[in-house]
Amino acid sequence: MTLLLVTLLVFCLIHLAPGEPLGAEPEDEGLLRIGEQARAELRAQYHLDEPLPKQYLLWFTDLLHLDLGRSFHDRRPVTQKIAERLGLTLTLNASSLALLLLVAVPLGTLAALNPGSAWDRFAAGGTYLLYAVPVFWAGLLLQILFAVRLGWLPLAGLRSHDHEFLRGLAGPADLALHLILPVICLSYSGLAYVSRFVRATLLENAAGDSGRAARARGLSRLAVLYRHGFRQAGLPLLTLAGFLLPSMVGGSVIVETIFAIPGVGRLFVDAAFQRDVPVLMGLTLLSGAATLAGILLADLAYAAADPRVRRA
Amino acid sequence: MRERLPSSLWWGVLLLGLLIAVAVAAPWVAVDPARLDLDRVLLSPSIENWLGTDALGRDMAARLAHGARVSLAVGLLSAGVALLIGLPLGALAGYRGGWADAAVSRVIEAMLCFPALLLVLALLAAGPRWFSGMSDVLRIALVLGFTGWMPAARYLRAEFLKLKRSEMVLAARAVGAGHLRVAVRHILPCALAPVLVTAAFAVGAAIAMEAALSFLGLGVRPPVATWGGLLADAREQVDRAWWLALFPGLALFLAVLGCNLIGEGLRDLLDPRRTTARP
Repeated sequence: MTLLLVTLLVFCLIHLAPGEPLGAEPEDEGLLRIGEQARAELRAQYHLDEPLPKQYLLWFTDLLHLDLGRSFHDRRPVTQKIAERLGLTLTLNASSLALLLLVAVPLGTLAALNPGSAWDRFAAGGTYLLYAVPVFWAGLLLQILFAVRLGWLPLAGLRSHDHEFLRGLAGPADLALHLILPVICLSYSGLAYVSRFVRATLLENAAGDSGRAARARGLSRLAVLYRHGFRQAGLPLLTLAGFLLPSMVGGSVIVETIFAIPGVGRLFVDAAFQRDVPVLMGLTLLSGAATLAGILLADLAYAAADPRVRRA
Repeated sequence: MRERLPSSLWWGVLLLGLLIAVAVAAPWVAVDPARLDLDRVLLSPSIENWLGTDALGRDMAARLAHGARVSLAVGLLSAGVALLIGLPLGALAGYRGGWADAAVSRVIEAMLCFPALLLVLALLAAGPRWFSGMSDVLRIALVLGFTGWMPAARYLRAEFLKLKRSEMVLAARAVGAGHLRVAVRHILPCALAPVLVTAAFAVGAAIAMEAALSFLGLGVRPPVATWGGLLADAREQVDRAWWLALFPGLALFLAVLGCNLIGEGLRDLLDPRRTTARP
């Protein structure tokens, strides 16, 4: 029953969502210089001469065929432009998410072991400060420190100049080196949120009666946290990861610009400069749809793993 | 018994007060931020130029102080716009319920699905023509307000739902007050407190977002000095001048932190459960 409601909700939302990017009538400043005739033809080609509801309908029927239209800039299909860059951004985001969980879960766990201790307060304060650090500032400082001053890591880009001559494992290693700083930039701001969440969930589950009983049976604190905390915290954590991914997409717009990475975020910024409305619309829709899919998946996983949710 | 104010509130007010003081005083205390001095290019911090100079010999301290004006204006204006949109919608949804509630709630959920930065960039790039004729600060504040009203509406809706059934409303209705009067004069003042918290966070988020936009080159355009713009300039000099990157970012960090601390402090202050739970 919950499932049915969720799918219905998502259906309504997807119908609502495309209205927003479309609400903005495309600018045709750049078209002012070319002739009246050519302008009319161009308008007809992109259906800009139709009334707005009709435009919307046309766009939506195309969307059902998975066709997002053609770019204003180079007339290539938007889906193709996105598809060739999506892999890179997904890799970036997925590794950032992995790093985030890898750091935040131990942080939260350590804090939960001794709530109120100096370490607990230090972790909470430190991650809280990190949360307010703007991404592009962190990116710049990391570049200055590790690329310029220390020279340990490459400044920007994806590949070294001589990457064609690298053999065997050196190629992927080169790529990985280039991705270290961007991945750090994308993951640090979520630390506060996730580690606090881990701490709260662990405490809630392991500090309850079942946890006290387990301690009384002689289990160590770590074992109690593991057996009674993590098993119950795992699922909400996955849900949280689903929610975090979209906010990372926003961050990757900036990170890809700083580090000159040709991903989807970079495509979006370029499209914004070129007023390339089909690309902007396509990417905005995609990010919204990805969020919805994440929420839906999280709900489904919840229902599958937790019988209490299914019954409700 | 007097309650102690949360320390985060003090720190936040201190930071933001400092920022406001700098922003207000900037034209009088700082030198002209646009004055070029090509003999004094890329100087590291010194007595004459506290925070060094940039690639055109402009004084960083002056540019930073003037950048504070832009950040603050955008932050406060956009929070105002967000409240202007969010309050009526949230009140309507909470007070009327039914289809109004359903409609507003769906719109909120749909808006929250998009990463804010993408939505803002798309609106700035593809906004209607009358829109691009406005001044940069106003334009950005409007867009940020338009994409940031959801938390205010959500909280106000929840408060209205709670207060709608209170005896206070029943009494007001009984003495003949209309729905609008009840909503505005009786419920709104009681429901405003949690919304204040969201407003504080909204100011911080807007300051960060404006800097991001200016950094990308789609925000307030040069030669106006903005923190984001200063950081974008610093990118060109990463191998030569660390001070160009350090100070604007530090200012931005402290401003955002100040807003967040105020929000956090207000929340602690308004939520009795949390304050008593503190050791």
